[in-house]
Amino acid sequence: MENTKYDVIIGLEIHIQSNTQSKMFCTCPTHYFEKEPNTHVCPVCLGLPGALPIPNKRAIELCILLGIATNCDIEKEIHFDRKHYFYPDLPKGYQISQYKRPICSDGHIDIKDKDGKKYEIGIERIHQEEDVAKSTHHTEGNTEYSLIDYNKSGVPLIEIVSKPNIRSAYQAKEYASKIRQIVRYLNISDADMEKGQMRCEPNISIQEKGKWQLVDGKIFPIGDYILNPKSEVKNIGSISAVEKAIEFEVERMISEIEDGKTLIQQTRGWDANKGKTIFQRSKETADDYRYMPEPDIPIIEIGSEDIERISGELVELPDEKKDRYQKTYSLSDYDCDVLTANLSISNYFEELLAILSKDMDTVKAAKSASNWITGTLFSIANDKKIDINQDNIPKESLAYLILEFEKKILTKNKAEAILRESLEQKKDLKELIQKATQESTQNTKNLDSIIDDVINNNSKAVTDFKSGKQSTIGFLVGQVMQKSNGSADPNKARLLLIEKLNG
Amino acid sequence: MDKKTLKHIAKLSRITLTDEELEKFTPQMETILDSAMLLQTVNTDSVNPMKRHVSFLELREDTPKDSLSQEDVLKNAKYKEKGFVKVYGKIFGSLEES
Repeated sequence: MENTKYDVIIGLEIHIQSNTQSKMFCTCPTHYFEKEPNTHVCPVCLGLPGALPIPNKRAIELCILLGIATNCDIEKEIHFDRKHYFYPDLPKGYQISQYKRPICSDGHIDIKDKDGKKYEIGIERIHQEEDVAKSTHHTEGNTEYSLIDYNKSGVPLIEIVSKPNIRSAYQAKEYASKIRQIVRYLNISDADMEKGQMRCEPNISIQEKGKWQLVDGKIFPIGDYILNPKSEVKNIGSISAVEKAIEFEVERMISEIEDGKTLIQQTRGWDANKGKTIFQRSKETADDYRYMPEPDIPIIEIGSEDIERISGELVELPDEKKDRYQKTYSLSDYDCDVLTANLSISNYFEELLAILSKDMDTVKAAKSASNWITGTLFSIANDKKIDINQDNIPKESLAYLILEFEKKILTKNKAEAILRESLEQKKDLKELIQKATQESTQNTKNLDSIIDDVINNNSKAVTDFKSGKQSTIGFLVGQVMQKSNGSADPNKARLLLIEKLNG
Repeated sequence: MDKKTLKHIAKLSRITLTDEELEKFTPQMETILDSAMLLQTVNTDSVNPMKRHVSFLELREDTPKDSLSQEDVLKNAKYKEKGFVKVYGKIFGSLEES
């Protein structure tokens, strides 16, 4: 997508549903997924006259927590505003949101760019608002109608607005993915895009190189250059679609300009099946939401003790964790990425490592644990669609397996086969390892006596080997294999033979 | 207040006004606004903003309570279907939210 003539300028708006138990301004339960329509609704979230909003403390804490995690400044006062528009999914006729004073502003997070280098994405603001109702649209004959379910109305929603310093579809995808990772690490949201718990809306424009500049987070033309209008893309249902939709939009805009057409500011929808964006409406004028301060909610004061208390909920974030893994355990960049992708995997890794470290050098144990998790375990888990957790794969048993492998009691193939058997047939891993270890020990004992026999019965070959004819070893291994009816491990037999012959 | 502004506000409220109505309502709206404007003439230099402040800990705890029954929720809905509120007319797509 590199283009020599144009720069790509992207800003990303992300909405996240917080995983509180009750709604933003009323006590209705939030978990509406697959529930009967209009059963999680009260006069407040239905917008009945006279109903008053009462802010949810936890929701605001989660918004502040996200601000702290993304290096934002946190306001000392929380002011809510009304954003007016008239639409059936918004029963009050306005959405309670924040306009001039978002709770968090001027933050940033790092992403890893395509070339592997760090790139900092600015965060303009993070504010708290409420979700709207869910509407589905239908046609019956010539009649068009919509069905509205207010269960979603009033669910706490955090809006994160990036600065327009995202410069490629790849960066936008990485940024969205990093935000999702952070909110999951902090248990702010499950951020499942398919369930609408996270929504991404990129603003995209292309500008001629050298003819624009970024001042205070805004794009300005240089000289008499006229900026190209931007388009906003909605209805993006996955992180990978963020990248695809932007790539499509950039190519569309470039080819329209190159064809001599005039771009217009517009809203487009991503069609995942067709893999393209589709025109929805033009935005000739700025939206007119007639913002005003929300008179029904007092100003909420945030003290430094509140910030301190909320900061206590910060956990080690993916970037910090990755750094620590690299420094402490000398793990590769790739391994660190995989192990820190989500908190349950990194916790599993660290607990497994703690067990292994009792019997192994920590760095070696980390490498080994990482290899087993990112290699064998991931491949089986993906095949079988199972989660890597304590219930499915007890860490104590996996540690036992790894140690038996490290002690060379079990071969890699055997150990993997045991793991696979345990997961596929739901057999107890520990029992399988014990059985295999016994067999292996028995085989070693048997092998030992077979080798003794072979040495005693082949005195000529033994003399030849001792006098320097190395190739005789092949013959002796062959004898061992024959006597064990092919059950012995030829490598092991070779090593043991050499050991005994030299000893 | 001129006819153009009133037309704009009507559009935002999804109300269609005829030319006669615009003609009739524009001066009426002007009178309403003028009355409200009286408030601006009061000198408030020595008056502090009266919006109440609360401390963070006074906010509501995140404990869910029972909602209304579906039957009660739908009681005031003119049209309903399978537990949903039904709204007639074309509304521009499902992508307008928040």
